[in-house]
Amino acid sequence: MNVGLEHYLVVSALLFALGLLGVITRRNLLVMYMSLELMLNAANLALVSFSRFNNNLNGQILVFFIITVAAAEVSVGLALIVALYRKRQTAHVEDLTTMKL
Amino acid sequence: MNASLISLEIWVVALGLVLMLADFWMPAERKRFLGYAAAAALAVLLVMNLGHCATGTAFNGMFVQDGLAVFFKCFFIIAAILVLFMAVEFSDNLTAGISEYYSLVVFALSGMLFAASANNFAMLFVSIELITVTFYVLTSFQRGRLVSLEAGVKYLILGALSSAFMVYGIALVWGTTGKLNFNELALVAGQFAGNKIFLLGMVLVLVGLGFKIAAFPFQIWAPDVYQGAPTPTTAFLAVGSKAAGFVLLLRVLFTAIPSVSAHWANPLIIISGITILYGNLCALPQRNLKRLMGYSSIAHAGYLLLGVAALSMNGQAAMLYYLSGYLFTVLGAFTVICLVMRHLDNEDISALAGLHQRSPLLATTLTLAMVSLAGIPPLAGFFGKFLLLKAVLEQGATNPGYYCLAFTALAGVVISLYYYFGVIRAIYWSKDTPVDLSPILLSGPAKVTLAICIAGMFWIGLFPNTMVSLATEAVKTLGI
Repeated sequence: MNVGLEHYLVVSALLFALGLLGVITRRNLLVMYMSLELMLNAANLALVSFSRFNNNLNGQILVFFIITVAAAEVSVGLALIVALYRKRQTAHVEDLTTMKL
Repeated sequence: MNASLISLEIWVVALGLVLMLADFWMPAERKRFLGYAAAAALAVLLVMNLGHCATGTAFNGMFVQDGLAVFFKCFFIIAAILVLFMAVEFSDNLTAGISEYYSLVVFALSGMLFAASANNFAMLFVSIELITVTFYVLTSFQRGRLVSLEAGVKYLILGALSSAFMVYGIALVWGTTGKLNFNELALVAGQFAGNKIFLLGMVLVLVGLGFKIAAFPFQIWAPDVYQGAPTPTTAFLAVGSKAAGFVLLLRVLFTAIPSVSAHWANPLIIISGITILYGNLCALPQRNLKRLMGYSSIAHAGYLLLGVAALSMNGQAAMLYYLSGYLFTVLGAFTVICLVMRHLDNEDISALAGLHQRSPLLATTLTLAMVSLAGIPPLAGFFGKFLLLKAVLEQGATNPGYYCLAFTALAGVVISLYYYFGVIRAIYWSKDTPVDLSPILLSGPAKVTLAICIAGMFWIGLFPNTMVSLATEAVKTLGI
């Protein structure tokens, strides 16, 4: 079987959908955060495969930026979740109910 | 390459680093005054930036310095100066790290400055993330307070979700067209108008931007984050972060894909109308003043979208005019909220009772801000709404939807009168007996901030010509 651009894009779309599903259905902040990272990596995979098959390196450069930004986002995000856990002894979204409509 | 164009951004980043380093040498009791130093440095940079406005592009077209960029850079710097003044007043509530708070405000400002000049999807992504990641920290800065942490976590999850959508959108757009630069994309975008993957990518990018400006249906985060965040952060979020979203929206819609967005009048009309109604209707029952401002800011995102939906130069100019009035109005309101409620647990409207006896200046500023937000002459909000509606009605001949939109916006204004006047009533004719009638002592800089906000509201409202011509000049570079 010849693996082409479409195959990579389907995998990337699946990863993105799985990540989105995780964010919507899971209730643990850490798991939700992992799913968000999965969504970012789906975009990375799409960029790299477009880059490879279109012979254009711009996409791979953009992937570097995305990885760097994602790392910064994770460091801030985990710090926040740890701070919340210390205060509240929980990492579940159901417990975030101080502010109501 | 023309690196001198980014000298302003380099200075702002350097200022942020200097503030962080100054933390080591400054005695603890003097640290709060670093905020004044930072504001003064930004004022110097603002004057320098106004002095010479070299235009051009740098970094292979990624960074563009044109009329629109210069307009928004002045806007962001003024906003940051007023927010820094507010942060100094708020510093008693931040147990530790006040100089870090100042430097984070300055770093967020640098992200906004880069956003004003973004002309490339990579630049758009990085500048938006610089703003958002900084705001995660700024939102949860009072980490001893559960509401602040909760607001930070909610902003984090929804913000990361929207940036994931945006990145995937950028990947699809780049994959189909092979262009990241907005000007190059504009040349080929017409050929892809029927390409489903390209359109999906564009919609996902707009989802990310819609989150930044808190437009329906991406507005869920706004009330909680506005309520829980420290007041100066809320103010900066309401003005700076929203304006950064709008400048990027203008660039994407009118520089990158003008031939595609020309057919998007109907979706834009619907989003704008629903955002106005949602924000105004949900604001009606609110008792928490910061939460009320959160819903009001959703409604104002809807009004600002009128200018985008009009798809005309007049609409864009009206939007810029409205934003500049909104800057002084909202910052005035939040400065009052910060000064009156900084020592209270929650920001219930009843705390305003008797404010006109406690501090006439604060009561006047908040009243004027509410009157301006409601859109009553002669303040800035009235003429801004007038220009936006005029721009929308001018387009009515091409699409009858614009008449419905103008009617919706007027209905929104009428609904909003109720809750804005509820705030004014709480100041002067409150039924609750005021618990605390001690006068509020204002520091000199706080008075200056309030005076600047009042002067800005009146100047933009009474002498609109200068600001309208500045705004018209700025949007000429978009070329629609």
